[in-house]
Amino acid sequence: MNTSQTNFHEFLGGQGDRNLDLYIQALNSANSGIIITDNKQPDNPIVYCNRAFETITGYSRNEIIGHNCRFLQAQDRAQPERKLLSDCIEQGLDCKVEMRNYKKNGDLFWNELYLSPVKNSKGEITHFIGVQNDVTARKKAEHDLIEEKASVEQKIQERTKELRENQVFLSSIIQTVRESLLVLDPDFTVLSANGHFLKTFKVSAEETVGKVLYELGNHQWDIDLLKELLVKILPTNNPVIDFEVEHNFPHIGKKLMLLNAYRIEHDGQYKDRILLAIEDITDRREIERRKDDFLSIASHELKTPLTTIKGLVQLLQRMQDGGITEKYKATLTKVSVYVDRLNNLISELLDTSRIQSGNIELHIEPFDIDHLVKDTVDNIALTVPGYEISVSGKSGAIISGDESQISQVVNNLVSNAIKYSPGSKKIEIHIARISNFVKVSIRDFGMGISAQDKPRIFERFYRAGDIQKKFPGMGIGLYISHEIIANHDGTLWVESEVGEGSTFSFTLPISKK
Amino acid sequence: MDAKKIMVCDDDQGVLDVIEMMLDSSGYTAFTEINSTNLISEIKKNEPDLILLDLWMPVLSGDQVVRAIRADQNISHLPVIILSASRDGDDIAMEAGADAFLSKPFDMDELIDTIEDLLKNKKGSMSV
Repeated sequence: MNTSQTNFHEFLGGQGDRNLDLYIQALNSANSGIIITDNKQPDNPIVYCNRAFETITGYSRNEIIGHNCRFLQAQDRAQPERKLLSDCIEQGLDCKVEMRNYKKNGDLFWNELYLSPVKNSKGEITHFIGVQNDVTARKKAEHDLIEEKASVEQKIQERTKELRENQVFLSSIIQTVRESLLVLDPDFTVLSANGHFLKTFKVSAEETVGKVLYELGNHQWDIDLLKELLVKILPTNNPVIDFEVEHNFPHIGKKLMLLNAYRIEHDGQYKDRILLAIEDITDRREIERRKDDFLSIASHELKTPLTTIKGLVQLLQRMQDGGITEKYKATLTKVSVYVDRLNNLISELLDTSRIQSGNIELHIEPFDIDHLVKDTVDNIALTVPGYEISVSGKSGAIISGDESQISQVVNNLVSNAIKYSPGSKKIEIHIARISNFVKVSIRDFGMGISAQDKPRIFERFYRAGDIQKKFPGMGIGLYISHEIIANHDGTLWVESEVGEGSTFSFTLPISKK
Repeated sequence: MDAKKIMVCDDDQGVLDVIEMMLDSSGYTAFTEINSTNLISEIKKNEPDLILLDLWMPVLSGDQVVRAIRADQNISHLPVIILSASRDGDDIAMEAGADAFLSKPFDMDELIDTIEDLLKNKKGSMSV
């Protein structure tokens, strides 16, 4: 018989039987600590404990028997559960409490205690049975969970605050930008409109938000082009950038607008929002137009006295009989060259301005490109005697375009070829038909273009470094040529090696007959 | 052979002077007018063989003058050259019914050649 059995036998005053042994064994096999206290003795001493109780508490039986349960609380007496426990003991009720207890080595453990009174036939409470479980792990998990929850809550609060700040920040950006912004749902109902939209189109938020775009302001936004943009173009071309719409609004007059439309996409999926940014370019266009007008008038006015100067110089050059010296004549020739250069600069200024603002008008008419190239080249050849300028090949094609502008391009390219090949007198021009394009190439055997200059020569006002010093000019000839060819749906490009020369080529689409 | 008479109208005195000098030195007789207002009656009075017009002039522009000339049976046959520093002058001049257009600043040889050609052709066509 082991100690616990002895213990129980002794508790029962040695009156054991065989069945009892089994019960004792069952008690000792339990994981829960079990004790019995004697309520009839002063201070309710522990009269029995099972093996698990010894394991849980770290105390041995002889340190336990005779003590009141409270010895497990050590000095930690200020626990509200104690009151509940003592009330139940007094009233003879079942109870369950969770208390902080301490093992023999001083370690804290959470004790889940079930206490149950045992009554005799007279109803007097003779004993209490206590069942104890070490629930420290569970308590810790609970505690961790609470802490975790608190920290998650704090994080959520922080994130919510951040989100709100971001939202305020974003919406203040939207309200501050000098561009009108609308957010639409898939049915084109306005979800929000920024301050600039309301200001530009002189409407209030109340009469805008929640309304279908086309119905806004008595259907003043019912614009066919806008519908085409939103219904036809946007679904397949997201986003749409710089879509130009002109519309006459009843109260604010004619507006020229550039629209950007964007269907909001996230992780490859369309969300049910459309952003519509509206830039009012009415004033800008008007300023551009005025600038062009101004330059047009200015260049006209500048050319008038130039006409007189040029005429007078030519008259002087013809005054042979007055005994004009060769030096005098050479000087006049120089004056004449600079008058022409000034004239070209004035023309280029106007061309650049018009091309930049897109106001250059194309006088589209069918013309024979082969003839145009030959005529233009012949005219230049007359002014540079001694040059070997050849035209080979032919396209036999009719081009639909602005003949004078294409002539200007050929003129520019051939003049450049002459200008930038001072050591060579040979220029080769070749015309070819390639697929549905005409290709015109102008090849010189001059100085060539360095790799670093090549990507930039078609830029406005770009002049290659060493060229700046040797050859005067504004550097807009190639820019203008490039723009003209682009306006005709062609391309202009260059192939060049330093010291070997350059070949400028352009293509133009052949008109469909 | 009498010198051919050429009527010149331009609102800029400098241009008017230089054209007159060019015509003189090339053997033409020039009549100059700085104001286009009464040009039609001046043309009728002086009976020029050819008319040189600036395009942008106050009161009556060059293209308006050409239209007036073309509308007047007595003078509608006269060759007209329009001169302008304006980029779009070419189209306006030809549309109005001018026989030639020269952009300012022009080359003296070009001016004289154009005048000669027009006088020759007009004479030819008239004699047919």
